[in-house]
Amino acid sequence: MNKLKVLQAWLWCESLWPCWLSHAVPLDCKDETGSLTQCASISQEKLLDRVIQHAELIYRVSEESCTLFEDMFVPYPLHALRSQGGNLCHTKPFPIPGSKNEIQQISDKWLLHSVLMLVQSWMEPLIYLQTTLNRYDDAPDALLNKTKWVSDKLLSLEQGVVVLIRKMLDEGILTSSSIFEHTLTPYNEQSPEVLESVLRDYNLLICFKKDAHKMETFLKLLKCRQSNKLSCLSY
Amino acid sequence: MAYSLSLGLLYLGLLCGNGLVSARSELFTPDPSRGPHFTGCRSREQETFRCWWSAGIFQNLTEPGALRVFYQTKNALLSEWQECPDYTHTVKNECYFNKTFTHIWTSYCIQLRSVRENITYDETCFTVENIVHPDPPIGLNWTLLNVSRSGLHFDILVRWAPPPSADVQMGWMSLVYQVQYRVRNASHWEMLDLESGTQQSIYGLHTDKEYEVRVRCKMSAFDNFGEFSDSILVHVAQIPSKESTFPTMLVLIFGVIGLVILLVLLIFSQQQRLMVIFLPPIPAPKIKGIDPELLKNGKLDQLNSLLSSQDMYKPDFYHEDPWVEFIQLDLDDPPEKNESSDTQHRLGLSRSGSSHVLNFKSDDDSGRASCYDPEIPNPEDLASLLPGHSGRGDNHPLVSRSISSIPDLGVQQTSEVEETPIQTQPAVPSWVNMDFYAQVSDFTPAGGVVLSPGQLNSSPEKKKEEENEKKIQFQLVSDGAYTSENTARQLSTEVPPSPGPEQGYQTFPTQAVEGNLWNGEYLVSTSDSQIPYLLPEAPPAPILPPVSDYTVVQEVDAQHSLLLNPPSLQPAICPHSPNKHLPAMPTMPMGYLTPDLLGNLTP
Repeated sequence: MNKLKVLQAWLWCESLWPCWLSHAVPLDCKDETGSLTQCASISQEKLLDRVIQHAELIYRVSEESCTLFEDMFVPYPLHALRSQGGNLCHTKPFPIPGSKNEIQQISDKWLLHSVLMLVQSWMEPLIYLQTTLNRYDDAPDALLNKTKWVSDKLLSLEQGVVVLIRKMLDEGILTSSSIFEHTLTPYNEQSPEVLESVLRDYNLLICFKKDAHKMETFLKLLKCRQSNKLSCLSY
Repeated sequence: MAYSLSLGLLYLGLLCGNGLVSARSELFTPDPSRGPHFTGCRSREQETFRCWWSAGIFQNLTEPGALRVFYQTKNALLSEWQECPDYTHTVKNECYFNKTFTHIWTSYCIQLRSVRENITYDETCFTVENIVHPDPPIGLNWTLLNVSRSGLHFDILVRWAPPPSADVQMGWMSLVYQVQYRVRNASHWEMLDLESGTQQSIYGLHTDKEYEVRVRCKMSAFDNFGEFSDSILVHVAQIPSKESTFPTMLVLIFGVIGLVILLVLLIFSQQQRLMVIFLPPIPAPKIKGIDPELLKNGKLDQLNSLLSSQDMYKPDFYHEDPWVEFIQLDLDDPPEKNESSDTQHRLGLSRSGSSHVLNFKSDDDSGRASCYDPEIPNPEDLASLLPGHSGRGDNHPLVSRSISSIPDLGVQQTSEVEETPIQTQPAVPSWVNMDFYAQVSDFTPAGGVVLSPGQLNSSPEKKKEEENEKKIQFQLVSDGAYTSENTARQLSTEVPPSPGPEQGYQTFPTQAVEGNLWNGEYLVSTSDSQIPYLLPEAPPAPILPPVSDYTVVQEVDAQHSLLLNPPSLQPAICPHSPNKHLPAMPTMPMGYLTPDLLGNLTP
């Protein structure tokens, strides 16, 4: 766990380095003297690496958050829900294939767009989750911090993916966080300790973990294709 | 709406959980007590997976085809139940889902049905990622990193490769590894932290032990470890350290031997000193600061100088001194000296002290001075003259003695006086019995003085006598003679010319003169009325016939005064007739002073 944290911290510091572009406007970066200059360009490879690191970190943190929540609030018999995967996550605009073969056949464009959509679809629910978790009486600080952190990282990830899209696909894209409808109802009046709300939040965390895994997988596949197309494609 | 649906599914999953074959547990042992059930599902590489079941107690269903597996993928839309795509032929009761049918991020539910009876015996749900147990890593090997300086420990670097079935390169599976090691055939495995790379260092292994190392992996963010790889043996032979320890032992042994030899040599060389340290000799009596050898063999003048520097005073000596000492006359001192201060007294005394003063016991009747009890001098003055008086130098002992002699006048009185300020000599009371002088009866060729024994003073009679004696006039024969101020004071009234002690006493100051110990002055008392009991002048009368007594110089004080050894106490015989000699001395002095005898002097 310590190693994980070290890696997280390192990656977090690492992630501050690139200047993310957003809103189709090059970000202004500050050089050593403090004056605003245009961001130094970064190679596509490095950018992709960093994006993948982001995704990996987010995935790991999501898994930790899920575990924390599960240990704290979910009754033991219900822990199996996690592995059963019978839960439904909020609807996505389009289905994402699950088999490796199908995934391998997804195009780069599709991969990137999928990632972007995933990221964007989770921004709002995470904020909602933060609000909900704050209402718990004894939510561990680690859980709250992780959730907060993930929200922030998701924004960075979005920016990175946008840049990637522009670089790899030569498309300009507008970043918007409100493309998707709010599928989640704002918090109910119920007290957070009720099992229903607990399960709901638990489900949310599990879904997020799954989607984070998707992001990571897609991005890694993308990277694999960038470096060596042949080995990444199976027929 | 969607939410309630999801919740309903959650509860369904909860129900399923009762009979759930947990995807996390090890599950290949069928439970014979149960009916047909799934024994487990596993995926090796997240691309395919297999499920196994068992007929359980229902033996009639063991034939193939009696039980069938149906599955359903739970996506957004509920799909229909489909039958197992592939029943493995080689393995009994196994359902194999190939790549086409394996979807990650989707949950599967499988059912075990008996078609004939249309009974669902078992159902379970899972997602493929949660049942993935990766294959063990391959290519495990180790390299030696370093060996500790002592040769007892070493570090190794263990390397491996990810399982070939896992598509790590594509990122399909992110694996983390765990290395374990133990001493061969031990029971406990040491586990190291999860490692996402493909190598790990192991530190602190012992060189003489054989180790087993193995590694396994799992998907990051999941909990299912795969099988362990085959163990490899790690062994580093201990560098023959005998060579390194042998010289050490040798050095140690030789060092110890050398040390012992050194010690022995030291002891033998310093034997004398060690003997002295461990068996200190009984100190021989000696004068502090004076080398006994010198006393034996030294020159007289050296001896004199030595002795003068010493404080030869012996309180005890005075303590039991029964007779009175003499006071040195200082003829030059005018009578006023009576009123002189203590300092003057001291000065006078110091002068007198410079000369050797003989203490002698005068028990001569002729020297009625012994019975003479002069006026009591100032006790303090007297006291100040006492040896050991504070502030006094080395001159004191005899001088004070001489003072003590004075007084026998004061004797009675001073006897009662407490000698407080002074270091008293208990001798004070003995003043009472002290004679002031002793008659020199003879001189030995060697220069020793033969004194006639003095007499003890008696008491009040002495006073009378002393008063009589006051008239006795003494004449200083040679220079340098002086007397204590006190005595001078006392006598000044009556014996103006030669103030001095009422009694005569003799000082035999022995100055540092070569050879003759008796160079010096001595007092000659000329008493007009009485017979001078003092017969000094230089060469004493050869023999004083029957009464030629002498005394032994007890010691020599700093002022080169000789302290005579008092003979045993005499009963105070107050000589009524000064003329009377003391032919018969109760006691004979022990001897007279010769340089040789100085060696016998006790400190």
